[in-house]
Amino acid sequence: MLQYWTAILTEATIFGVLALGIDMIWGWAGDFDLSAYAYFALGVYMTIILTVGKAKSPVEYVLGWRLPYLLAVVIAVVVVVAFASIIGAIALRNLRDVYFSITTLGAVWAIYYMVENFTPLFNGYNGVFGLFDPMGGGLSYNTYHYYFFGFCLLVLFLVYLVVQRLSRSPFGRMVRAVRDDERAASVYGRNVFWTKYRTYLCGAGLAGLSGGLFAAYIGAFSPLDWKPTEIFVLYAAILVGGRGNPRGVVLGSFIVYVGFVEMTRYIPSPAARPELGPALRQILIGVLIILMLKFRPSGLLPERLGTDGTNARRTWRDRLWRATVVADSHPDDELVDTTGGVET
Amino acid sequence: MNIFWISIGMGVATAAILALSAVAFTLEYAVSRVVNLAHGEVLTIGAYAAYVADDNFHQNVYVCAVIATVAGALAGMLLNFGLIERFRNQKPLSTLIATLGASLILQNLLLIGFGGASVSYGFAQGTLLHVGPFLWTTLTIRVMVSAVVVAGLIYALLQRTRLGKALRAVSQNRELAQVSGIPARSVVMQTWAVSGAISGFAGFLYGETIGTITPSVGNGFLLLSITAAVGGGLGRPYATLGGALVLGLVMSIAGTYTSSAYQLVIAFGFLVVMLLIKPNGLFVRGRAQTVRA
Repeated sequence: MLQYWTAILTEATIFGVLALGIDMIWGWAGDFDLSAYAYFALGVYMTIILTVGKAKSPVEYVLGWRLPYLLAVVIAVVVVVAFASIIGAIALRNLRDVYFSITTLGAVWAIYYMVENFTPLFNGYNGVFGLFDPMGGGLSYNTYHYYFFGFCLLVLFLVYLVVQRLSRSPFGRMVRAVRDDERAASVYGRNVFWTKYRTYLCGAGLAGLSGGLFAAYIGAFSPLDWKPTEIFVLYAAILVGGRGNPRGVVLGSFIVYVGFVEMTRYIPSPAARPELGPALRQILIGVLIILMLKFRPSGLLPERLGTDGTNARRTWRDRLWRATVVADSHPDDELVDTTGGVET
Repeated sequence: MNIFWISIGMGVATAAILALSAVAFTLEYAVSRVVNLAHGEVLTIGAYAAYVADDNFHQNVYVCAVIATVAGALAGMLLNFGLIERFRNQKPLSTLIATLGASLILQNLLLIGFGGASVSYGFAQGTLLHVGPFLWTTLTIRVMVSAVVVAGLIYALLQRTRLGKALRAVSQNRELAQVSGIPARSVVMQTWAVSGAISGFAGFLYGETIGTITPSVGNGFLLLSITAAVGGGLGRPYATLGGALVLGLVMSIAGTYTSSAYQLVIAFGFLVVMLLIKPNGLFVRGRAQTVRA
């Protein structure tokens, strides 16, 4: 049972990283990107083929290097970002809103059929496999899972810190300004395309990173594992948690993955009708998306706006620090006070 | 017999079905300003309705076609009533995401209802016919003829009836049409019924042509419909018709030289080229600029 929960939580953690990436593209920049799951898949494929070594016939795939796991993930992220830079350049240059979504939808299906049918690339329909124990030796099969879960948690935490920091930075505010009113933002000297493009590449990079983690988690990957429709689960997670709020997104992916996807696994799925359980789960995801959009589009933890430093939500440390600064830097106030005191 | 001309002939048959599906898609966009990603499921519903009629009642092709059309119309009206009108005051993107949810729901309901295994109609596949340089079957000829007839009916509906006139008015400006005394809500509902009927019929034709239907058959066709509509001119029925014919021909010519598995890859390439050169659509005047819904 403990192993079962570790597996679920590891999955939720990995998808939390992916959700943070997608949320940058959709939540911050307002671009409803449907091809992010292809970046995730590309991250998985790249990580596997960079670590498992040469392909043995009849299996075939490109590269087939034997690199250390962490280096492979780094290269995978670089490749994913390079790839996303092409799609992003096409989709973001002149296209917005619905047109952007249509283009990315086309892109993800084109990539999907390409990978499925062009075997020399990633062994087509049968997929690639063979990655195990990426942390390198010394751990038994059982203990390995706990270490890997810890590793994923650490990565999620670091990514969360960076994303949260970025979200509140001038860059994060600029992206949202561009999202809310492109014309106004460009009047104030922001380069609309460049802003959106950079955000898109950041999100794609996180998708590639989560793919690198997922590669080590499942060890084998084929087109059956990444139907482009799977991305709806992530959008459901973002919608539940709070679009544009990194804390909400992490919360949402845990709620949807642990509380929703895993709980619905207990829906009976008789042997004669194996598709019943997964189908019901998909229906529930669809219902969840529609209901959240209709009744609470900002999610459980709504995005906080206007954090430009003056009316930011201040922590007790900020308040203390600011209070001293204010007291020190405005001697005039005290002067007025003292003269007032003299007068009376 | 030249393989080139044969594939052109097959391309025309595909383009005929594609044209119907894409026009239905574009009509939905015209009146509701929504990119309906559940459009593929309406096609699937039409295909399965005809299958049920054929399988359970052993009826002939024409009755099956009518049943598919009616089922499609009902599905279209249900989508409009249950979802699109509820999201009317929201951004186009929210509606798009909602239709994505609806697509997920409908597709999996069909999966539960009919199972994942593919089914096929009991009709005869027809005999081979040589027409000029083309090689068609009686089936593909029937498909093409009925597609042309339906396209003619759509033209008559748009140009010669009060509904068509009201539809064009609503598609240009719903509020203005409303204050001019056009019952916009009812016109939108009727348009969804019409476009659903066309989709259901197109789904039936598609199922008949490819021989087997699965719960995701329409979803694969959705992307082609979107490409045709956007390539020709989203929201404009005649431009969309043109876009569908061009896309059908491009795919069949390219398909002569590559595997048919790359059909969607080619379609995506076509979409990208169209969006880069003329994002407003191939048959729409105006210069390229940032396009948004």
